[in-house]
Amino acid sequence: MMVFRKPLLNVERPQMEADIVIVGGGPAGMACALRLSQLIDEHNAKRPDAALSKDNIYVLEKARDVGAHCLSGALLDPRSMRELLPGFEKEAPLDAAVVQEAVYYLTRNGKFKLPITPPPLRDHGNYVISINRFTKWLGSKVEEAGITVFTGFAGTELLFEKGRVLGVRTDDKGVDKNGEQKSNFEPGYDLKAKVVILAEGSRGSLAKQLINRFLLDNERNPQTYGVGVKELWELPAGRIAAGEVIYTMGYPLTFHEYGGAWIYGSRDNLVSLGFVTGLDYADPRIDPQRVLQEFKKHPFIANLLEGGKMVRYGAKSLPYGGWWCIPPVAGDGWMIVGDSAGFLNSQRLKGIHLAIKSGMLAAETAFEAMTKDDYSLGVLDTFQDRVEKSWIKEELWPVRNFHQGFDQGFLSGMFHAGVQQISGGRGLRAHYCNHAGHERMKYLADLPADGGAAAHIISAAKGDGKLTFDKLTDVYYSATKHEEDQPAHLVIHDTNICNERCVHEYGNPCQNFCPANVYEMVEASDTPSGKQIHLNASNCVHCKTCDIMDPYQIITWVPPEGGGGPNYEGM
Amino acid sequence: MAEMILVVVEQREGKLNRVSWETLKGAQALAEQTGWTLEAAVAGSGVNAIATEVAAKKVAKVYDLESTKLEPYTPDSFSFALKGFIDQKQPKLVLMPHTYQVRDFAPKLATALNRALISDAIGCKYEGGKLLFTRPMFQGKFVADVAFTGDAPYFATFQSGAFRGDQVEEGSAAAAVETVNIEIPDGVVRNKPEAPFKEAKQAVDLTQAEIIVSVGRGIKEQKNIELAQQLASALGGEIAASRPICDSGWLPMDRQVGSSGQTVAPKLYLALGISGAIQHVVGMKGSRSIIAVNKDSEAPIFEIADVAVVGNLFDIVPPLIEEVRKAKGI
Repeated sequence: MMVFRKPLLNVERPQMEADIVIVGGGPAGMACALRLSQLIDEHNAKRPDAALSKDNIYVLEKARDVGAHCLSGALLDPRSMRELLPGFEKEAPLDAAVVQEAVYYLTRNGKFKLPITPPPLRDHGNYVISINRFTKWLGSKVEEAGITVFTGFAGTELLFEKGRVLGVRTDDKGVDKNGEQKSNFEPGYDLKAKVVILAEGSRGSLAKQLINRFLLDNERNPQTYGVGVKELWELPAGRIAAGEVIYTMGYPLTFHEYGGAWIYGSRDNLVSLGFVTGLDYADPRIDPQRVLQEFKKHPFIANLLEGGKMVRYGAKSLPYGGWWCIPPVAGDGWMIVGDSAGFLNSQRLKGIHLAIKSGMLAAETAFEAMTKDDYSLGVLDTFQDRVEKSWIKEELWPVRNFHQGFDQGFLSGMFHAGVQQISGGRGLRAHYCNHAGHERMKYLADLPADGGAAAHIISAAKGDGKLTFDKLTDVYYSATKHEEDQPAHLVIHDTNICNERCVHEYGNPCQNFCPANVYEMVEASDTPSGKQIHLNASNCVHCKTCDIMDPYQIITWVPPEGGGGPNYEGM
Repeated sequence: MAEMILVVVEQREGKLNRVSWETLKGAQALAEQTGWTLEAAVAGSGVNAIATEVAAKKVAKVYDLESTKLEPYTPDSFSFALKGFIDQKQPKLVLMPHTYQVRDFAPKLATALNRALISDAIGCKYEGGKLLFTRPMFQGKFVADVAFTGDAPYFATFQSGAFRGDQVEEGSAAAAVETVNIEIPDGVVRNKPEAPFKEAKQAVDLTQAEIIVSVGRGIKEQKNIELAQQLASALGGEIAASRPICDSGWLPMDRQVGSSGQTVAPKLYLALGISGAIQHVVGMKGSRSIIAVNKDSEAPIFEIADVAVVGNLFDIVPPLIEEVRKAKGI
């Protein structure tokens, strides 16, 4: 009998008063904390008589170390960093300035280079970074500024009072797999905050609670996601220049799936490569980790990687629905920033700069509340206006219909993208709609048994141990680690659906879409199907794909005991 | 500064921890390369017998650091006693096994002397006048050689399995044992040890086992664990498992070998129905001999096995138990 993680009842929790709690120490959360600190410093220099304190501003980060759960390509558009820390280029860990970019369309064995790089994918002026090291550096700035970062602590529940967010509950530590207290049990804290800023990244678990409770997705397009599966490779010298950027479309995906690959040359002959598979594909047997393996087998890529060595692996979802999917970003006692809100430009495949900018704007809003000592909805709601008046909207508005244009597949998507390009983003309709990705999944019975055109990307990769890897080997290279003796943090609300319905209808796609081998159907004597869901929760890399792609929407990802998770050192 | 290597052997409740022999073996090799003297020390209360046991090995001298306040073990008493002793002797290098106890007090001890500690090393060498210690990185995928930059005494600990404890050299004659009475003033020991946790009491220390019979998914059902247990008992070894078995609750978690469990290096590791995912292999690849039984001839475990048996473990294990019992006359 599986026991799922939930905050323990009937325990006395330590209470802590806070002014501002930022949940998530990624680029958005750290930029928010740093901007807030700057504003307070400026204010205190001018008004020593009415000095504001930073003592009660906290950042919660579930990873053991800042940046350990951060995963991206990554290319950084420096626009927001130049506003946050003018001259940041001199000290930030930037691996290379982009020197060259190319876009290819791949067929099974061939490739066509686009004669010109489409303007949204021109990356001169951007930097190749390791988002892990970049965030670590930003985090050190925050700590130097005197703001407390609690690493190893996750926000697991929002505390509500009627229509207001009162604070955050952190994770219970020392709970065994049956949900019982262990000898090292420590209850989670109740952090009562004047404002909670959610910066949890893609598909944040608290953001999900908030959106569901206040129906924030009403009158919005459903958010659509992709999952990026990444490997970091060490190649023989001279293969790819530092700052060289390659994008590919097409193979191994077919016209029915959305997605593409990136290859970024970094310093020291390191190369970041990965494949984003849109989480709106139809065939439940498609396996995004397999997609990356098949991609590497393409002659163009195989030649590139020949003689190299895979050194790191990771996976993370990303929200690319765009402007029409962004929920209200402020309310009574809360704000949402970064990927949690969906600030990502899917046409440019970039979100870090928007995450940082949204964090800065939230900081300015919080600062106004602090100086006025007025944390009411009236003040916090100005965050919404700040976003509308900023270059975030300027950048996202023209591409508001981009991703939805692909709702009917690649070819019509390219057509709509073209029409939008010449009509200021409008396209054929003012507001393109779309479906939530998981709704597009089809029953096995309606699909060719052998996978048809997608036969090469369904089911698990075998791996040759050099160029390609089976999933479990890849997972090893994510360095993910969890306390084993704890309740499962992948909360399945009804396992009967897995064992009795899904097994026939979709063939348990969780086994395929999870890039970390968390989900497994094992033989069972006591279920009619002879199979039973089993969770290898400690393999989880915190990508949130299961929460997003499960066709029945019965999986809720909640944070495991703080400190657990991948270790994306150098990713 | 004495040209001396000091090995601090570990005792718990008056018993020498066998992993100390590995550290001593590593120290003997290093003493040969450097030409430095090798001495050893044991701390505790009434542990002269352990000092004498160590003195039979090839060491110049053994110190028995005695104080009633050293029993039971506390990090305060051990670091205090060793700090004073090391301060006075000024060895070049202090070596210890990387045990739970050492992990507990060694950082405190090194910090108290304002010296650096290289922990969890798997080897060491002396090159060009420099001591180099090899440490695993990225969960054992890479190793790095690291050196001290500050001043001696240097502190280092060795991972279990780094050296062959059974190859520790005997001395030509017993070394001298010097008893050093340590004065630990009141107030130094701030820790008050409670009875060991119940979990800890039951816990098996697989790192101490010489023979391990380990089971994986291939064992199929919980009731079949008994079969592996019989083989382990016949061989006089411990039973262990890969993650799925402990995850299913068929064996307790302290019997799990691999990246999320224990790292072991027994003389013999018998892998029954274990496919050999990298997560498991990193926890047992240091074993001296590996025998693997698996139905799948392509199972990755065979890549590191010394003896590969392709077949059904249920056909192979029962006669094996019979043979072992016969050979042992049990």
